[in-house]
Amino acid sequence: MTQRNGEPPAVSLTGAEKTFGDVRAVAGLDLTVARGETVALLGLPRTLGFARAGGTPIGAGKSTAISLLLGLNEPDAGRVELFGGPPRRAVRAGRVGAMLQETRPVPRVTVRELVAFVAGRHPAPLTAARALEPAGVPEPAGRRVDRLSGGQLQRVRFAVALAGDPDLLVLDEPTAALDVAARQEFWAALRGRARHGRTVLFCTHHLEEADAHADRIVVVDRGRVVADGTGEELRRRVGGGVVSFDLAEGGGEGLELLPGVRAVEVRGGRARLRTDDSDATVLAPAERGAIRRLEVAPASLDDAFLALTSPDVRPLETV
Amino acid sequence: MRNVLDYLRLEVRRTLRDPGFVLGGVAIPMLMYLLFTHIGEQGGGAWRIASMVGMAAYGAVGSALNTGGGVAEDRATGWLRQLRVTPMTPRQVVVGRTLTGSVTVLPAIVAVLAAGGLAGGVRLTAGVGVPPGRSPWGRAAVALLLWLGSVPFTLLGLGNGYRLTPQATGVANMLCNLGLAVLGGLWFPVALFPGWLRSLAAYTPTHRFAELGVAVADGRAPAWGAVAVLGLWLAVFGSYAVLSYRRTGRTV
Repeated sequence: MTQRNGEPPAVSLTGAEKTFGDVRAVAGLDLTVARGETVALLGLPRTLGFARAGGTPIGAGKSTAISLLLGLNEPDAGRVELFGGPPRRAVRAGRVGAMLQETRPVPRVTVRELVAFVAGRHPAPLTAARALEPAGVPEPAGRRVDRLSGGQLQRVRFAVALAGDPDLLVLDEPTAALDVAARQEFWAALRGRARHGRTVLFCTHHLEEADAHADRIVVVDRGRVVADGTGEELRRRVGGGVVSFDLAEGGGEGLELLPGVRAVEVRGGRARLRTDDSDATVLAPAERGAIRRLEVAPASLDDAFLALTSPDVRPLETV
Repeated sequence: MRNVLDYLRLEVRRTLRDPGFVLGGVAIPMLMYLLFTHIGEQGGGAWRIASMVGMAAYGAVGSALNTGGGVAEDRATGWLRQLRVTPMTPRQVVVGRTLTGSVTVLPAIVAVLAAGGLAGGVRLTAGVGVPPGRSPWGRAAVALLLWLGSVPFTLLGLGNGYRLTPQATGVANMLCNLGLAVLGGLWFPVALFPGWLRSLAAYTPTHRFAELGVAVADGRAPAWGAVAVLGLWLAVFGSYAVLSYRRTGRTV
């Protein structure tokens, strides 16, 4: 989070709040992205957020945070700035490119027309061909956007975000609908932009993506930041580990009562315990001779994420 | 300015690619005109002119309203939202959309007037105070007035499009189009209406809209009443469009 020559950061949200009806989508969010930094905004996907909160629509708040920082919504409280000014000013100056979620294809327009139109709004755009090339859009530049496959459409959205050669790229779930090869191309293109000093903020609920492609991961849950650091820092912060072993006959009883255990999963005769204290967790069943094929592993980023976002919710036992 | 012009060009292209627009806004008014004037020898030369202008007006109203359908669609697909993260201002977007409406009414007007000339044998005078016989100028004058007079209907369509879902906008536009066309005497001459309906028709924007065109086609200046009633509807539909935009357009 270093500031170059005291320049204001690319993105700055301070105590931002936004409520829709009864839902506090963003509840005091603080987020700073320095210029040239690539940051992942990580949170549960909305559907899972719904399920967890027992049906009440509580998402992580990623998309709302995005619409606040793009100036698409005004915060109810707090401050939102891009490059030290109101978001709208940065957008008007053509410094921002965005890939929005929940947009359907623009009907009756070709890929080239769309990308060239958006490029033409910006002061120093890429040519349509160059914007399309890192997005890996194959032949269909002359094809209509509403006749593309999901993956092709997602690439076109990326090309639209790139077209103005903006200083800040804001990407909401950029790799949704992309296959593995397209994902790799996408991340390579994004790294290229980052090397050119561009700032990138992307939303995802894929841990591996956040870990592999961001300088920093900001974990949001229920509209606030619950953790902020590199993947390694997040793992370390959660600590603990995962203990797994084969169960003897009927040995699945009372595992959640073992010392240190936070969550239990039993599948195919094998128990997997997430624990704050692997040593203590292992000792008790070992004394009863009730375990075989013992394995102790450090917490994964997945475990870290679950621990960070669900302090009061225990994952269900699966048998 | 370049923002508005480029946006206008893009939206006009998108509209022309819409089969619904080409069918409903150009082909159907033209076919209806040919049917109505060739089946059953009703009325004389006066109704021939009136039906030509009426169907051109009907097509223009349909195309003007169709602009609102496009806006509702753009709100639903997120295209308006995407435009808000480009350097274009909301004002430029609204102005560009309104201009799109005024460009896309032209095909309907031109198609029906051309059909009137080629197949209907309608010959127009050259306009106010000019001797008859030079019909291309008369036709151009009618087209120009119909073009200018279509603005209130574009605003009505935008009012629907900024307020309603795409489906609801489609229904509202269709009801407005059919209702106003029939009431305003674009399909059948008002003279066939019962007295009370005839007096109601005099206050409809469509009747006054067609009256503009008919007057010029007859070589008369449009009546002040027509201009005044249409001006009133311009104000009403304009306010409706602004209110609708304030309600939802700014937050998409």
